[in-house]
Amino acid sequence: MDPFSAWIEATRISTVMRNTTWLWPACESIHFIGLALLIGGAGYFDLRLLGFMRRVPVAAAKAFMPWAITGFAMNFVTGTMFFVMAPHMYVLSAAWWAKVFFIVVAGLNAMFFETTLGTRVMLLGPNEKTPTSFKIVGAVSLFAWFAVLFFGRMLPYIGTGN
Amino acid sequence: MGPFLHALQNSAFSAWVVGSDTIWAYPMILTMHTVGLGIVVGAAVIIDLRLLGVGPGIPLEEVNRVFPIFWVGFFINLVSGVMLFVSEAEDKAAQPVFLVKLLLIAIGVVITGRIRRRLFGGGSPSMRAASSGRTLAFTSLVVWGGAIVAGRLMAYLK
Repeated sequence: MDPFSAWIEATRISTVMRNTTWLWPACESIHFIGLALLIGGAGYFDLRLLGFMRRVPVAAAKAFMPWAITGFAMNFVTGTMFFVMAPHMYVLSAAWWAKVFFIVVAGLNAMFFETTLGTRVMLLGPNEKTPTSFKIVGAVSLFAWFAVLFFGRMLPYIGTGN
Repeated sequence: MGPFLHALQNSAFSAWVVGSDTIWAYPMILTMHTVGLGIVVGAAVIIDLRLLGVGPGIPLEEVNRVFPIFWVGFFINLVSGVMLFVSEAEDKAAQPVFLVKLLLIAIGVVITGRIRRRLFGGGSPSMRAASSGRTLAFTSLVVWGGAIVAGRLMAYLK
């Protein structure tokens, strides 16, 4: 095992969590509910950016974003708990690094949107065509979140380093 | 039923799903099931939250556009779910938490259908119809959450 993983695993918090029966399945259940909130909320907004459901004002489609962020927060917390409980399983997994990569892509994409295009969103009324830049942001977001889901679920099966 | 489930579980298809050493069998089917989960429950969440008052700027008529997305996710999970079931038919059919999951999905589908009829059954959807659908929407959220938990616990409550 690499020194970093060995160190995390030896910490008291990691040991206590590992020895708590049902903590892992409970966190998994929360992780999957968070996934649905995130895909639902972010996916809906992404589809609107892509030009679907044009009668919905873009600003209104954003209403589910706090729920998507809640889902992300649930998954960030439970995901961190998984990592602390079994760090070597993740550090050595190519699928996990791919998952982290796509989380970063989705995050940077959202940040780019908020800092550059976001203010233009409010000015866009219903039935108006979304500019190509919006479509690209929506497509990248949708692809990245499904890639996160894909590599997360494939984690036990690909690139486990053994 | 017993011999039938036994035959399913011991079929060549099942041997391929659970036994073959490729990520294109069990891992990919399982992953498709999770992709479908995100779509079907994600769509249900949007419909339910809108009925519960989130996103008042979204015209109610436009909620109608979310139902096909729900059914796409449902179809992905019906197909992938049947494949996963067949490969372990005997074991899954005897697993109480699996039956709980199926029951919750059935309730969820019925509720989603009812919400649709209530909103779009007669003429244009009104906020009155939407607010009387609040109980349905709230129940739907609880039921889909329960289905997810039951599905996840299938790996633990054998």
